[in-house]
Amino acid sequence: MHGLFRWSSKWWPGVVPLVVFWAIAAWSNTMPLESDLAARAGAALKDTVLDKTRIAVNGRDVTFAADAFSEDGRRSAVTSVDAVPGVRLVNDETRLVPEAKPFVWTAERDVVRVTLGGSAPLPASKGRLLEAARADLGGVEVVDQMNLSRGAPPRFDNAALLLLDQIAKLKDGKVTISDDKISLAGMARDLGGREAIAAALKNLPEGFSVAANEIKAPPYIFQAYKDPVAVTLTLTGYVPDNNVHAAIAAAAARKFFSEKVVDNLKASVGAPSGFAAAVVPALGALSRLSTGTLVVSDREVKLSGDAFFDAAAAQIRSGLPKEFPQGFQLKADISVKPAVAPVDATVCQQLFSELLAKGKIRFESGRASIDPDSAGLLDRLTETALRCPTADIEIAGHTDADGEDAFNQALSEKRAQAVMDYLVKAGLPAGRFTATGYGSTQPVASNDTDEGKAQNRRIDFLVR
Amino acid sequence: MAYLVTFHWGWLLASLLLGLAMGWIAVVHRGQGVSKRISRWLAVLAAALVAAALARAIPGRPGYWLDLGLVMFAPYLFGCAVGSWLRDWALSRSTPAA
Repeated sequence: MHGLFRWSSKWWPGVVPLVVFWAIAAWSNTMPLESDLAARAGAALKDTVLDKTRIAVNGRDVTFAADAFSEDGRRSAVTSVDAVPGVRLVNDETRLVPEAKPFVWTAERDVVRVTLGGSAPLPASKGRLLEAARADLGGVEVVDQMNLSRGAPPRFDNAALLLLDQIAKLKDGKVTISDDKISLAGMARDLGGREAIAAALKNLPEGFSVAANEIKAPPYIFQAYKDPVAVTLTLTGYVPDNNVHAAIAAAAARKFFSEKVVDNLKASVGAPSGFAAAVVPALGALSRLSTGTLVVSDREVKLSGDAFFDAAAAQIRSGLPKEFPQGFQLKADISVKPAVAPVDATVCQQLFSELLAKGKIRFESGRASIDPDSAGLLDRLTETALRCPTADIEIAGHTDADGEDAFNQALSEKRAQAVMDYLVKAGLPAGRFTATGYGSTQPVASNDTDEGKAQNRRIDFLVR
Repeated sequence: MAYLVTFHWGWLLASLLLGLAMGWIAVVHRGQGVSKRISRWLAVLAAALVAAALARAIPGRPGYWLDLGLVMFAPYLFGCAVGSWLRDWALSRSTPAA
């Protein structure tokens, strides 16, 4: 042992190369050692749920910053980093994710994108929500503006996923979870969407409740377009059911005596009450326009187009709203068609005959009240009468041979007079017209068949 | 410690070999040794450095370099001791006892 002490006094020269070795080792190994420790610390945290994890290694000391979702999780993360072999010290800069109070999550949809905002409880649930949003809303951009926070109500994920399904049924709108209260606002994509969403909300997870459901249904729209060039009436939009559909189609066929009816109507729920009672008179008003569009949107009726003459425009504006059921409103934008060039008496007669060949002036059975369905035809006849201002016109009423002659004679006179009154009310001078009744004395077809009788019941216009 | 040894085993081996060589030479070296006074101070210094390392008093990279230096110094000393002892043993075998 004594020798060892003696020899050791001469060991010092070796320290010089040892220091050189040490310097080289320190210079070459510091960086690899640091990156090795960083990789090991990262691997140790692989299974821990953290946000904003940052690991910085300085020598063998690890500075570890992260947001944890629970105090236990935070402590166990620090312990795992501390337990990494080679780590000398851990500078713990971890903290808990801030707690949101109230815990608010939102999903907002506009035309082209869905924005998810507010708080999500864990990175995994955030990912799941984004994935579900992309799956539910194929083709719509999904923007993630969610933060991570603590304090989510239990079963938050299930509630949020259910609401994302509902977002798909909206055209635009917003759903919000605030703690356990849910509010919805916006416009449903389809008719019936509002009802579907309300039904789905019954399946919310336990503990959640709907605080406000302000989803609006899209307007219930019915449209009719009278095209004078193609001579068509195009019906589009919705009707409540097949019975109403048939009634509207039949009314259109009666009122539009010369137009072909193109029926593109679809049946759907959600019609305002009194829908058919508003649409039928509105179609009657449309039939009195030379060209026009009718749009019934919920309870608002928009009628625009050109009337044949001033009085017709005024009659439609003032008369149509009175025929509507309560709650329906008319927005009329009716101008008057420019006057057509005058023609001579012969052409006038020809025009009358053509019109009356296409359609007949109808009356209530056995009475002299003009059926409102004939208003369109009468307006066309009035317009024609306006084109030959110098011609005198005889309005001739005819009946079939059923019933007593005296009654038929009186009825034919009253009916001719009713037509004349209509023309006079339209602004034509009464002096130009004579109303004559011929009873059943001038049949144009056999009175033995129903068809023949129908042809014999007529009003003729004769230019004198 | 185990991690440091595994990570730097090449350097530790080099230190050990250096120590063995130095120990081998020291037995027959004729030069001036370190005085008792200085060697006592050096021992105190070494103890202080070991204490600083164990207490983890020096942070960051300097702390790591201190650990590395001490970990390399230990095999050097061991090498010196073994080297000197081997040389002494070899000498005592080759020169018959006087």
